[in-house]
Amino acid sequence: MRNERRRFTLLALTLALALLLAACGGQPQPPATGGGTGGGAPSGGPPIKIGAIFDLTGATADVGTPYSKGQIAFIDWKNANGGVAGRQLQLISQDYAYEVPRAEELYTQFVTQDGVVVFSGWGTGDTEALKGKISEDKIPFISASYSASLANPAETPYNFLVAPTYSDQMIIAMKWALDDWKAKGKSGLPKFAYLINDSPFGRSPLADGTAFAQANGIETPLEVPSPRGATDLTPQLTQIRDYGANYVFLQNVSSPAALAIKNAKSLRLDVQFVCMNWCANELLIKLAGADAEGVVGAVPFSPEGEGARVALNFAKEKGIDYGGADSTFVQGWTAMSILVAGIERTLKDGKELTGENIKNTLETMGPIDTGGVTPPVVFSTTDHAGAKALRMFRVENGKWVAITDFISAR
Amino acid sequence: MQSGTFHTSYASDMAMRPFWIQRLRIALVLIALLAFPWFADRYWLNLANTIAIAAIGAIGLNILVGYTGQISIGHGGFLAVGAYTAGLMAVRLDMPMWITIPVASCFTALVGAFFGLPSVRLKGLYLAIATLAAQEIIIWLLTHGKLLGIGESLSLPRAANNLFGLPLSALGNNDFAFYWITVGFLILTVIFVSNLFRSRTGRAFVAIRDQDIAAQVIGVDLFRYKLLAFAASSFFAGLAGALTAHYRGIISWERFTIDTSILFLAMIIIGGLGSVSGSIYGAAFMTLLPALLSNLARAISGLVPDINTYLPYIQQGAFGLAIILFLIFEPEGIVKMWRNVKDYFRLWPFSY
Repeated sequence: MRNERRRFTLLALTLALALLLAACGGQPQPPATGGGTGGGAPSGGPPIKIGAIFDLTGATADVGTPYSKGQIAFIDWKNANGGVAGRQLQLISQDYAYEVPRAEELYTQFVTQDGVVVFSGWGTGDTEALKGKISEDKIPFISASYSASLANPAETPYNFLVAPTYSDQMIIAMKWALDDWKAKGKSGLPKFAYLINDSPFGRSPLADGTAFAQANGIETPLEVPSPRGATDLTPQLTQIRDYGANYVFLQNVSSPAALAIKNAKSLRLDVQFVCMNWCANELLIKLAGADAEGVVGAVPFSPEGEGARVALNFAKEKGIDYGGADSTFVQGWTAMSILVAGIERTLKDGKELTGENIKNTLETMGPIDTGGVTPPVVFSTTDHAGAKALRMFRVENGKWVAITDFISAR
Repeated sequence: MQSGTFHTSYASDMAMRPFWIQRLRIALVLIALLAFPWFADRYWLNLANTIAIAAIGAIGLNILVGYTGQISIGHGGFLAVGAYTAGLMAVRLDMPMWITIPVASCFTALVGAFFGLPSVRLKGLYLAIATLAAQEIIIWLLTHGKLLGIGESLSLPRAANNLFGLPLSALGNNDFAFYWITVGFLILTVIFVSNLFRSRTGRAFVAIRDQDIAAQVIGVDLFRYKLLAFAASSFFAGLAGALTAHYRGIISWERFTIDTSILFLAMIIIGGLGSVSGSIYGAAFMTLLPALLSNLARAISGLVPDINTYLPYIQQGAFGLAIILFLIFEPEGIVKMWRNVKDYFRLWPFSY
């Protein structure tokens, strides 16, 4: 008995100690930088704090990881080149496992305790959940979610979209599909189907996509959600085969998309897969192998521009391992560079670095050049969807090759 | 030294907290609760609100699992029912929170009782699977049911957050204002549920848990009380869900998946099955653990530079580790640990 009691006391004490330690941890801390502070650069003031949440362990970790590496690498690169107006950038970031409550908690912590001035988010579900707080806190926010509902500054004045909205991506992909159908000399109209991530992210473009399809006389596309963590998508693909779809639009991340493409091969399903942003990357080729050949992708961040070469060379030089997902790494890098461009301009204009000033600068500064990764990004006071066009790519000999010039939705 | 507890009046025998030290503790806790928001920043207020809402849900689940012995892994689904009922009422009918919250709780109680019907014929693991079906059906209705006309997420108007015409924003920022609401509801829940188990109904629940056949023999109507337990449990799930909806201002089904149900089960197992205070400890523990771990990691990241890379894996492991350690060392949960600490000081220098 005695022994046992001592053990409980010990446990209780350990717990109390842990709580105490952690409570101390809650106080404002010396920096936990994502980026190393490139040694002895002249500093013209305190570091500029940027908050970020990444998905490194959750449902979208396959693309979340290279995206996060791209963002961290950009901050490191910028700091190594003297920072912004002599000030260093400090990235305060953490994994949130694609869980909305965790995102809310980290966002609140970074904004209220660390005092970050801008924020870089990730998923559709959590960006939408945060939009109210973002407007209240006046924190300019970019996210890896390009949901059209975030592009209207009248409702979400502090959300900025650095790529064409998911809706625009879908419409562009459908435009390409219609041209492709004609180019192949087939008669009549093709049938479309969606194979999507079972989440707000997956369903984001469907309403606008369907409206576009119907306006072009195409039958309402079939909507098939692929369950999270599925290991076999044969039932879903069988449904698509029975419907008789010619083009299947994949609004999903790489791993489930690769699974669908492989399953389709073994089913001998004769359809053209069209990947949206988050599966149109090198991971898909790595995972699906030879089966990925001929898959078409809507790639909003082209890994071929001059800006991409800077990013990829920096990664090579520093030995950053992003799992070979070049375009996703470049996407993370470019998204962060756009946000930082806003900060840089605000400081250059001699304004105080507040969320409101950065937002106004982003809205009025004119086109932001991304070195050919995207068409120049322009925000305005009435439209926060910065980019309107993207290029379609196709997998040829295990590589994404551009097959069109920049196409826009409207 | 006191050799035992002797009540000299019926009133003291019936009292819920007969000793001055217990009353003192309650007073201290109340003072701490009243003082906390004036000192805390929004990060801690956000955590406190999350804990208070989780605690209400956990107490609800404890009524069913801890007190009545009916396993349920559909709690997340019932939270969703509460959240969406409140949300839809606020959006479509422009109703304020003081109407939506009670209505959503009552409606969830009905839904819970409906999904509790299989409990009449099923026990143990079989019942667990039946409640799992409830979880999946509810989430499926929310994601694929175009009949409800819900998109991916539901934004509640800020104007709905008012009490009898007084807008909550008059109290201060959202986190501060909601602290009073969530903690107020938590206190009401604690008072109600603690007293429930001093009543005929509560005793019937416990009898069903301990031996359902014996309970039936002594005249407990199993059908009625099992459904009542499901209804009571879901009522608080609905309350927690409705509070989540109004506090967060936006809800999506992602918040109420099977993971949530399991998290709530973990809360009551770690806190203490069949204990109201245990549910609160469990909710606090499961909410604070990831937050504390990440703060800890940030505090020591100067010493261990790459800690942020490993943190996600440490966090995931910590949950599993916490549950295993509790099951090994104190299966009765945090509430028993607290009792052990109290006993140690009360009996010192003797061991018992």
